[in-house]
Amino acid sequence: MWLPININENSPEPLYHQIEVQLRALIVSGQLAEGTLLPSIRELAQMLKCSVITVRRVYQDLESEGLLRTRQGTGTFVANVQEEDRDRQRTASVIEAVEAAVDAGMRVQLTREEMMQIIVQILDKRWKENG
Amino acid sequence: MMESNAIAIRGVEQHHQHFRLGPINLDIAEGFVTAIVGPNGSGKSSTFRILLDLTKPDAGSMTVLGYKVGEGDDREWKRQIGYLPEESSKEDSYLRGSEKAAFVRQWYDGWDVNLYQDLLKRFEVDDSLKIGKMSKGMRRKFELALVMAHKPKLLLLDEPSSGLDPIAWKSMIELLHRYMEPGDRTILMTSHIVEEVRRLADFIVFMVRGQVLGKYEKDELFQRWQVLFVAPMNPASPSISSVLPSAWPGVVEAEPAGGGMLRIVTENAELTENALIDMNYRINTRQSLTLDEILDALMRRGAYV
Repeated sequence: MWLPININENSPEPLYHQIEVQLRALIVSGQLAEGTLLPSIRELAQMLKCSVITVRRVYQDLESEGLLRTRQGTGTFVANVQEEDRDRQRTASVIEAVEAAVDAGMRVQLTREEMMQIIVQILDKRWKENG
Repeated sequence: MMESNAIAIRGVEQHHQHFRLGPINLDIAEGFVTAIVGPNGSGKSSTFRILLDLTKPDAGSMTVLGYKVGEGDDREWKRQIGYLPEESSKEDSYLRGSEKAAFVRQWYDGWDVNLYQDLLKRFEVDDSLKIGKMSKGMRRKFELALVMAHKPKLLLLDEPSSGLDPIAWKSMIELLHRYMEPGDRTILMTSHIVEEVRRLADFIVFMVRGQVLGKYEKDELFQRWQVLFVAPMNPASPSISSVLPSAWPGVVEAEPAGGGMLRIVTENAELTENALIDMNYRINTRQSLTLDEILDALMRRGAYV
């Protein structure tokens, strides 16, 4: 099975992190239903042109978060994601993205007020776009 | 996956009149694809021949699949290997493919006739042809089928794709991925094709002038080696010409770029970035390096040490 995962080779984010974030989102959003059999480590590595070491790391991380489970000899499956887990995971990825945005702002020495302004502007714009 | 070595090379040297190989120390992990990359004449094929006990080293020792190379009966471990040399042998040109296959299969208990037929079909190889009459590409595909039909634990592939057209190349890549699926098999290969290494390898070994320059996990290698275009955050700070970027952490090369910027090649992007932030520099653009660009930079650096 193909997975809609995009890799940006010029991103500063490590490859395993890019894959992990996207795969987590696919599971948490319910796009990959409980019980779905994921590609084997070697297959996913082939699809994404990365090493099996990277994919193994992603599968292990998501397994320890309880999003995946591995059955010896059969493969890796999407686990049963509880409603509260889903909510926690949903916000976790957003918090991480906002943190990265704030870091970017600090790097170019924006003030707290300037950053607030930008965030409010973007929120206003998006909400208007979506009616 | 078990973490053990399919191959261990310890202090191996081989001295020729015009070339000295080694000393080489290298471990090849079981369950992974390792690609040796380097210019012609850097000792890749010589290393393969030493591993198979086809030539003797002048110093050092090796184990392959747990067996000591050069000691005792070698049939046991050689049965578990598939070796594809870079050059086809000239002697069997008069044989039909099927005759050659009948000869080869006698040596391997694990020969799987169905797999052999499947490989021929997948590669569109007609083994009723005389080997000398096959096209270059078909001959390579035939040879690949021959070394894989006994389901070896270890594949040694020396420039496997030489002579293959793009369609055959793609089926070879898929085939090798499928071969690796059980998890306890190992491929050690050499390749000049950047895209082939990119698609197949888990580990990359750089080899130049008879020496191993290093072994890297592929994704980490590409993550670490980057080109950064940087500029001081405050334009009034010391001008670019007065700084010494070659002394910055991780920096391999640095030169002025347009727009008051510096172009930096780093072998440890994270380290360099942290240093840049501390020095109040901003990163304008980043680019990843290709495998040959990394090899090139390593070789240029190697020339001065």
